[in-house]
Order: sequence, then structure tokens, then C-alpha cells
Amino acid sequence: MSELIGEPESATNPAPDAPAPGPAAALDIDRVSFGYPGRRVLDEVSLRVRPGEFVALVGLNGCGKSTLLRLAAGVLRPESGRVSVDGADMTRISRRDAARKVALLHQSAPAVPGLTVRQLVRQGRYAARGPLGMLRVGDDAVTVRAMRDVGVEEWADRPVEALSGGERQRVRLALALAQDTPVLLLDEPTTYLDLRHQLEVLRLVARLRDERRLTVLMVLHDLDMAARFAERLVALRNGRVAAEGPPDQVVTPALLREVFGVEGRVGRDPEHGWPVCYPDRPAPIEIDNGFH
Amino acid sequence: MSLLGRAASTAPGTDRSAVRRRRSALAFGALLLAVPLAAALDLVAGRALSVGEAWQAFTGGAVDLTARHLVWEVRLPRALVALGAGAALGLAGLILQAAMRNPLAAPEVTGVTPGAVFGAVAATGVGLADWASPVAVVVSAVAGGCGGAGLLWLMTGRTRSDPAQMAVHGVLVSAALSGLTAVTLLAAPGELGSVVQWMVGTTEARTWQHWNLLWPWALFWGAAACLTAGPLMLLRCGERVAEAAGLVPARTRGLALLCAVALTAGAVASVGALGFVGLVVPHAALALFGADLRLTLPGAALAGAVAVCGADAVAQLASRAATAWGAEHLSVPVGAVTTCAGAAVLLFVARRHAVQP
Repeated sequence: MSELIGEPESATNPAPDAPAPGPAAALDIDRVSFGYPGRRVLDEVSLRVRPGEFVALVGLNGCGKSTLLRLAAGVLRPESGRVSVDGADMTRISRRDAARKVALLHQSAPAVPGLTVRQLVRQGRYAARGPLGMLRVGDDAVTVRAMRDVGVEEWADRPVEALSGGERQRVRLALALAQDTPVLLLDEPTTYLDLRHQLEVLRLVARLRDERRLTVLMVLHDLDMAARFAERLVALRNGRVAAEGPPDQVVTPALLREVFGVEGRVGRDPEHGWPVCYPDRPAPIEIDNGFH
Repeated sequence: MSLLGRAASTAPGTDRSAVRRRRSALAFGALLLAVPLAAALDLVAGRALSVGEAWQAFTGGAVDLTARHLVWEVRLPRALVALGAGAALGLAGLILQAAMRNPLAAPEVTGVTPGAVFGAVAATGVGLADWASPVAVVVSAVAGGCGGAGLLWLMTGRTRSDPAQMAVHGVLVSAALSGLTAVTLLAAPGELGSVVQWMVGTTEARTWQHWNLLWPWALFWGAAACLTAGPLMLLRCGERVAEAAGLVPARTRGLALLCAVALTAGAVASVGALGFVGLVVPHAALALFGADLRLTLPGAALAGAVAVCGADAVAQLASRAATAWGAEHLSVPVGAVTTCAGAAVLLFVARRHAVQP
């Protein structure tokens, strides 16, 4: 209602140069290995995210989830193997071209004194506009759309520092959306958020995935949330894929024990049927931390 | 959401945006106006001529050749050099603070200023340059400034991307280079008597030659710096954010630092090691214009120009007062004024807010 009358540039009436969502792209991680001296982080990991799919990456701290995301974004180069988005090899294209295909939202970002929401979200346009294009005055349609998508346009001129944790996370999501990429990678977007804001951010991502036909790969700590929102779970352990598949098949007591080192039970949500974990105690197994 | 509610909630946002823009435009206009004002004040503030005489000589009404010479050949280049050097230092400071994400980064603590001073002093000490030939001094100061920054670059090595490490090493390099300068001064004290004043930062005896060397250099690097406003702003958001958004942080930081080094070396070569300008002016510019570097970079240049030229006028007024009190040979260098004022401002700022990166 308000969108029809209230504002000239609304979601139902996109501004002329806001591109319509393009065809969804596939993210293909093919036998990728990566390590630092003396420490192997990822060992021949293969993972294919189909166009428009919502995949959650789960596992213990230090199992290589964040590294895998950084490799998928083309920020890190794999030692061997290949990362491609819609067939384009991420190591062979420039950083800017890569940032036009894949947006990566890190777990946290440093505070920038004085920066407003609008100014921060606008930074997402760098990949498309280039260094001199960023000097142009005014918001483009994509920036405005990104702010509206996450519902932060009302605070566009507030300093980011003045926002609460949940609001700030939405602003950072808008920054990633402003890159206008077919693939969105999120590294624990709900860390430091309370339950309400966790739910808000995940529902937002799910909604945007549908509306913008995004391909989403997300690292999540919370197995219940992952099982609830993702179509497919990929569990990493010691730099290898330990299990993958739809949540109701993957989330089992065996997964809790082997991937998370926890003895526990798995039940079902009585209304929607998604798996719910009841962790009981740390499992008495030794967890190989990957050092050689 | 009802239409009414929507309208009510969006209105403050647009208002705030308009207010912010208007405030920035106002501040920019005020600074633009302050530049000729500071220059005019600097022209009339000196000893030996009354305000009226100086103004007459400047506008061409004076018949007194000495007055005319004093205004056109001594005071005007001095004021212009002060403006140019201030603009360069203000810009360089803001670039350093943004690129290193460190609110305490400044030319004097990144090895650039002490390097430029050492370059000029060493070249003078070994007889390659002397104060009658600005070209040689400028060249050796630029070389020294680049050398100081290069030394920092080598010393930080792999920890280069860590702002804290960079800051610590910067202070160390700066201290070492200042020590070398002191050693050089002790080795050849006779040659270098006039250098001491320059080490504090002075605009005494600047000529058109200094100005002619300074302005093309400052203009070129200043323009280059302003063109990097986009990437620099992204870099200020943090390495990982910048990288994810499509920037190669190391490359941008290298380019930005090159601009900062060149600007600082140019300023130091023409007015000496002016303290605190590169540290305080960027904070003022950020407070006035906000985090949008497209506006704040030129703003910092203007603020720096006004600050140094104003400080020079104050220094001259202080010298005038000293003369009136009978200390005829005492002339206060502009560096003394900027250092005192800068330290006071910094103390004030640090007490009001905890300094944030």
C-alpha cells in the first residue's frame, strides 16, 4: 500500500537503471585445497551450490568454514582445485570482476567514525563503478534498492556507529546487496545478535533469496537455525566435507557426535517437521585439530 | 504501514540529509572565504610596516619602493608558501589516517617528515645543497621523505597490513631519523646554524622560487590524492570489507601512501617540519565534513592552508609584539605556533572524546 502511493521509487516500480534480477548463478567449488605453513585448512573440498539454492555450512570453530567462504569469494587463492561462478574461474578474473559476481559479508567489521548508513552501503558499488566512478555524486538505484530491501532507508543519514547490533547487521547486509551479485556469501551473519534479531536477519536473507533469485552460501554456528532456513546443509570437519544433504537427513545424533563432538538427541519440530537438536554433553572423542 | 506513518518516518531522514549537506556546504564556503582572509592577515601582520602601508603597497598605491619590495617579494611568497604547505600537510595527514585506519597517523610519526628533514640537513651538511638554492633542498627533502617512508615499509615487512604495527614502527623510524639529524647537526654545527629554525618549521625568507617549486608539486599530488577518494574511503572501512567489495587493499594503500609522502616531502622542503598540522587538521576536516572523503579531502586541504597561514600570521603578530617589548631579534617561527596550538587542540579533543580509529 505505502509502496504504491508513498514513494516514487518503490520496489514495484523500479528505477530505470536498477537491473532486474538476472539469472541465478551456480557456485562450484571443485576439489579445493588450502593451507598455511604447517597447517592444512581445507583438503580437496568439493561443494556445488545450485542456482538459487540456500546452503548452510556448519562445523566447529577452525574447521575451515570461513576459509572456504573466502576462497569462494575469490579473496583467497586455492593451492589446488578450482572455484567458479557460472563457469568463470574466480582466480583468473580481477578482484573487481570477482566482486561483481560474489558478495561476501564477513562476521564483523571495524567501526568507521562518522560514516553514515548511506555512505557505507554506497561502498558496495565500488566493484561496478570503479575508483573514478565512486566520485560521482548521488545514490544510484541499486544503493537505494539495497537499503530498502533490508529496511534501513529511514536511517540512511544516521551514523552507523549509532545503530544497535541488529540494525548494523542489516546495514552490512545492504552493503553486500549493493554489490548486486548473483551469489551471496555470509559468514555467521547472526553472531552477537539476540534471538529476535537472529531470526529477523535469517528471514530477511531467505526473503531476499526468493525475491532476487540469489544463490546463498552461509556459515552458521547455530545448527537449529541452519536446519530451519537452509535447503541443504554441508558439514565440515578438519577441512573435509563430513556430511551433506537436506537438513532432515543430515542432522542426526551421529552428525552431532562426529562433526560437533557432542552426544545428543535429535527431535522434530512438531509443527513444521524440521530437525531440532538436544545436545547433552561433550563426546569423549579426541578432536583432531588439523595440525601436522 | 499507513501512508501517514510512512511519511512521518521518512521525513526526518531526508531532513537530516539536507541539513548535513547544507552544513557541509556552509563549512566549505566558510573555509574558501577564510583562505584569502588568512592570506591578507599574513600579508599585513609582519613587522616594519603598518597595516595601512602594507595594504597600500599590495594594491599598488604605495610609492615607497622598500614597502613594495617587502610586500611583493617577501610577504606574498611567504603567505603563498604557507598556504600551499598547509594544504599539502592537511591532505597528507588525512590520507595517512584513512589509509592506515589510525587516528594518530601523521607525517611526523610515519618517518616522512623526519626523513625529509634529515635529507635536507644531510645534503646541506655535505655541501650538496645550501639555503640559497631551494631546488637542491627540495630535491634532497623529497628524497629523504621517500627514504623515511621506504625505511618504514621495509621495517614493517609482513606486518605491514596491521595498523598498530605500522604505527609503532613509524614512531621508531621517526625517532631514529631525528637522532640522525641531531648527529649531523652536531658534526657540522657551523654550516647548519640556520637549519635549526627550519627544523621547527618556518616561513621566514621564502621566495618566489620556493613557491614556484611548491605549487606544481602540491597541485599534482593533491589532485591525485583527491582522485583516490573513492578507494581510500573503502579502505577506511577496513581491509576485509574493502577486499570483499572489489578493492585490492595493498595496491590502494601503496598509492595513497605515495601521495601522502610526496605531499609531505614537498611541504617539509618548503617550510620545514611543521608540527601537528598533519595530525590535527584531518580531525577538524572529518568533524566539519563527515566521512565522505570526496568532500573531506579537499576540505582538509583548505583547512590546512587556513591553519598554517593563520598560524604564520599569529607568529608574525607575536614577533611584532616581541619587538614592541624590546626583543628586536626574536622572531617567532610558525612551527612554534602550530605546535603549541596543535598540542592544545589535541589535548582538548582527547579529553572530550576517547580517540577512535
